[in-house]
Amino acid sequence: MKKVEPKPASLQHPISRHAFLRAALALAVSPFLRYVPAEAADEVEISEVAPGIFVHQGRYELQSPQNRGDMANASFVVGTDAVAVIDTLGSAIAGRELRSAIRAVTDKPIRYVINTHMHPDHVFGNAAFKEDNPAFVGHYKLARGLATRADRYLAINKEMLGEAAFAGIEIIVPTLAVETSLRLDLGGRTLVLETQQTAHTDNDLTVTDTATDTLFLGDLLFSVHVPTLDGSITGWLALLEELGERKAARVVPGHGPQAMVLPEALAPEQRYLSAIAADVRKLIKEGKTLEDATKIAGFSERDAWKLFDNYHVRNVSAAFAELEWE
Amino acid sequence: MPILTKRAVSAAAVLAGCLFLSTPVAQAGEDIWPTLKQQTFGDRAIQAEDGMVVLEIPGTAEDAALVPLTVRVPPQVTQNLKSLTLFIDKNPDPKVATLTFGPAAGKGGERSFSTRVRIEDFSHVRAVLETEDGSLHMASKFVAAAGGCGAMQAKDPDTEAVDLGKTLVKVFPPALEQSPIWSAQVMIKHPNANGMQLDINTANFIPARFVKEMIVERGGELVFKMESTFSISTNPNFRFTFGRGPDNSLDVAITDTDEARFAAKAGPSGS
Repeated sequence: MKKVEPKPASLQHPISRHAFLRAALALAVSPFLRYVPAEAADEVEISEVAPGIFVHQGRYELQSPQNRGDMANASFVVGTDAVAVIDTLGSAIAGRELRSAIRAVTDKPIRYVINTHMHPDHVFGNAAFKEDNPAFVGHYKLARGLATRADRYLAINKEMLGEAAFAGIEIIVPTLAVETSLRLDLGGRTLVLETQQTAHTDNDLTVTDTATDTLFLGDLLFSVHVPTLDGSITGWLALLEELGERKAARVVPGHGPQAMVLPEALAPEQRYLSAIAADVRKLIKEGKTLEDATKIAGFSERDAWKLFDNYHVRNVSAAFAELEWE
Repeated sequence: MPILTKRAVSAAAVLAGCLFLSTPVAQAGEDIWPTLKQQTFGDRAIQAEDGMVVLEIPGTAEDAALVPLTVRVPPQVTQNLKSLTLFIDKNPDPKVATLTFGPAAGKGGERSFSTRVRIEDFSHVRAVLETEDGSLHMASKFVAAAGGCGAMQAKDPDTEAVDLGKTLVKVFPPALEQSPIWSAQVMIKHPNANGMQLDINTANFIPARFVKEMIVERGGELVFKMESTFSISTNPNFRFTFGRGPDNSLDVAITDTDEARFAAKAGPSGS
């Protein structure tokens, strides 16, 4: 049986797929189990963070042939009638592994595939679920965002993932677009989907499971992995203020641990974005350039995040281009 | 004019390239600079890297749709400047901008010009400076970047469309007011659409619409006239120097490819 890395105390004994199936036969599906498929090293690991809420934690990496685009969190919620998937990882192959993990837990139909926003590490696994004929659900601006970037996203991912891991990736845009909010009934539980103002991107969607009071924030919340700004820094900071007022039993970030607690979960990201905004505003006031800002702004945060060197300069550029119009 | 014909052809060709994933490898063999050089400057000699002009641009672009670029003419260059042409060899339209300098461009200190550009592919970026004596001087750098032309830089197209044409001009007085070289900034709210972004609602490409001309004057005298293309990033942004005069307020007049005209003015105290 495959060994697993040390994990938080709340996540109890790892079990094999066979062990799990035996347990399932006994109808003893208790929460807080980590399912470790024993057959293949490449299969995705999932944890049940609350009854019927399963989360896979993505790696803190850039996409590569080795990780097959498995670098964001992906979740699924199991109701008495149906399953909803929330984000599908960054390749069709990883998406299929996620699907296998779902099938190891439940035979209920996968009726909804929800994308929290347009980024490839959250949507490129969509193709793996086509056979389930689900509704693909997203913010009403997701299709536009993805369409205008499709060629670039495909080209970059083909290069970074390599041919093998890139195989089967398709751009699949929502068949069910959310204007403001939407309720999805899974049987015994309802998911409430809400579009958000431009923040991480212009098509961020949050999901709340009413049965367990779990709030899926997508990439509105980064933990450990440096946040990436592809929307509006002022919009994001304002939204984080609002989210800080919300109550939820737990939140699931787009990148980070499987589950976190409000409002503490938001603090590091707020600190990071605030540091950039403050530094950039000061530099603009002093007549400094975007180039200057990319060498100075927000570097006090460097040691606090993984992948800082991969994304920080881009974040500062985006912030500068936005804030110089204030 | 050969450039215009070529422009149409190459825009179409590279549009196809954008859509069907042109790879750096596929284009690496072609060196289009000799052709570009011939079209733009004919048989005139160009002094490469002779220190008359310096190009600053990151070797690796973090965001290919927003790459900061600065051209400096060191203070030891004392001649008046005639023109400056910027190229990105592998872009759909390799000629980024041509500045023709006027009497108010100034001299007697370091002169510079900065903007932000889109870079479609791993490419040489070039700055060719023409000085008063008619000689040409070039600085170039190879930049690793990809996807700038197809990349939609607008993070939120709905808000980006608001205030199109809004233009801000800032004049930055130097530490010593009698310094002969002053600097200024022009910011234009404009998508600078390159015609390569798909409108999902219509399945058509968003038509190209970009700033094609900008005239900067100080007290009625020309600082420079710029002709530009969509290689300039969304919300075009320029920092440049000019010569101190009796009246250091700047008038900026901009025309885009839809023949829309925008104008703004600013003095040393701000707007």
